Amino acid sequence: MKGRGTIIFTIGAVVALLVAIILMQFRTVEETDISTLEAMRETELRAEVASWKEKYEEASKQLTETQAKITEYYETMESKDEAAKVLEQELLQAKMRIGQEAVTGSGIEVTLEDNIETQIDDYDIYKLINELRLAGAEAISVNEVRITAMSDVKSIAPGLIHIDGNPLHSPYIIKAIGDQTYLVSALNQKTYGYMDYVIKSYDKTGYITTRESIVIPATKKVMKFEYAEEVKQ
Amino acid sequence: MKKNSIAILLGVVCAILVYAISIQLKTIDELNKTVSGSISENGLRDEVLKWKGRYDSIYAKLQEEESRLEKVRKEASSDDEASAGTREELKLVNRMLGFTEVTGKGITIVLDDNKAQIAEGVLPGTIADYLVHDDDLIRLVNDLKNGGAEAISINEQRIVSTTGIVCDGNVVRINGQKVSAPFEIKAIGYPERLIGTLNFPEAILSTLRSVGVVKEEPKKSNSITIPKYTGTISIKNLSALEGQGE
Repeated sequence: MKGRGTIIFTIGAVVALLVAIILMQFRTVEETDISTLEAMRETELRAEVASWKEKYEEASKQLTETQAKITEYYETMESKDEAAKVLEQELLQAKMRIGQEAVTGSGIEVTLEDNIETQIDDYDIYKLINELRLAGAEAISVNEVRITAMSDVKSIAPGLIHIDGNPLHSPYIIKAIGDQTYLVSALNQKTYGYMDYVIKSYDKTGYITTRESIVIPATKKVMKFEYAEEVKQ
Repeated sequence: MKKNSIAILLGVVCAILVYAISIQLKTIDELNKTVSGSISENGLRDEVLKWKGRYDSIYAKLQEEESRLEKVRKEASSDDEASAGTREELKLVNRMLGFTEVTGKGITIVLDDNKAQIAEGVLPGTIADYLVHDDDLIRLVNDLKNGGAEAISINEQRIVSTTGIVCDGNVVRINGQKVSAPFEIKAIGYPERLIGTLNFPEAILSTLRSVGVVKEEPKKSNSITIPKYTGTISIKNLSALEGQGE
């Protein structure tokens, strides 16, 4: 008799305790839900931190490179020939950045094609270039025309697009060198990603292929500054 | 019999309660990871400022080292014509990459959300039609490039070879930096040609005018100053294709 009473009492106490814990947890969960808005602002802040951190890391890497170059020049102080090589190397890297040097690396290829119903227009291409840049593409070409900082894309007639004055037709093969995972996932983002929003929702034809070795040619245009002068500090 | 069914009932209730608790514990655990693993918003704001400060100071250091590099480069390489030519070329390429502040003839244009129309509330279409979007800027920049622009900036953000423009909530990010309306777009180039290109019927400007977001029409100017790009241009995934390069 006594034993049974104790058991029932114990079980009752355990149940009461469990109920109390659950209630407490419900409250916590509720409070967290209320702060969703705060959390979203927090997400934004986090993105901001990440962005500055990334910029910092890039600048820091650049700084290391610059300092390495300075050291290299110092080491070649004795030999003008050696210094000339370092200088050439520097120029080569600058030309790779600006598009005056053919480059190679891994990346992706996006193919855009006219189909019976819809055609690829200039927006499809320069929007894609914009998205690739956002995803960190380091070199881009469209049908073997290197895209530079000031390249323009213009629809001339149905099925004809000019890039820097070069006439191009479908299929348009856009090559980009950069982090493959990054490039692909940026374009494939659900709903508002480039492939969904710009291509599929307009019944246009396009697909992505990853490539281990992409070659992007140098620009053929003569790059110059006719109107822009350097501001001397 | 009765005793057994009570025991079973209690057992089942307990099991359900334990199950519920464990689910909730898991949920809370995950929330902690994403939300309160955080240092609160203020902490994050400090964090943003901290990293921005760090970036600013390392960028200043980088600028110092770049100018030191320029000196050393000149000292180390010989005075012969070939080296001098290479040095000049390097300078020019760096200028075209956007690493220096530039000035010259060109145009300015200002876009802003059509607040008057939105306030009036009589909108054919939706509010979104009367705002300036990332795509408007992307199109306008492409038109300016088509008009032969040599340097372009939007709210002092220089457009360079790696610049992407993207909406981020109700602001726009350019070079990863937040900018918001009104957008002042500056371009250096031949002013007549730039304006002529913007006024092509198929250019974006006519559409922008029709929704009233052109706050200031394109205006020629003899002295436009466009700031330098304050980031870096990465080439970590690139290697030169030796032999085939020009």
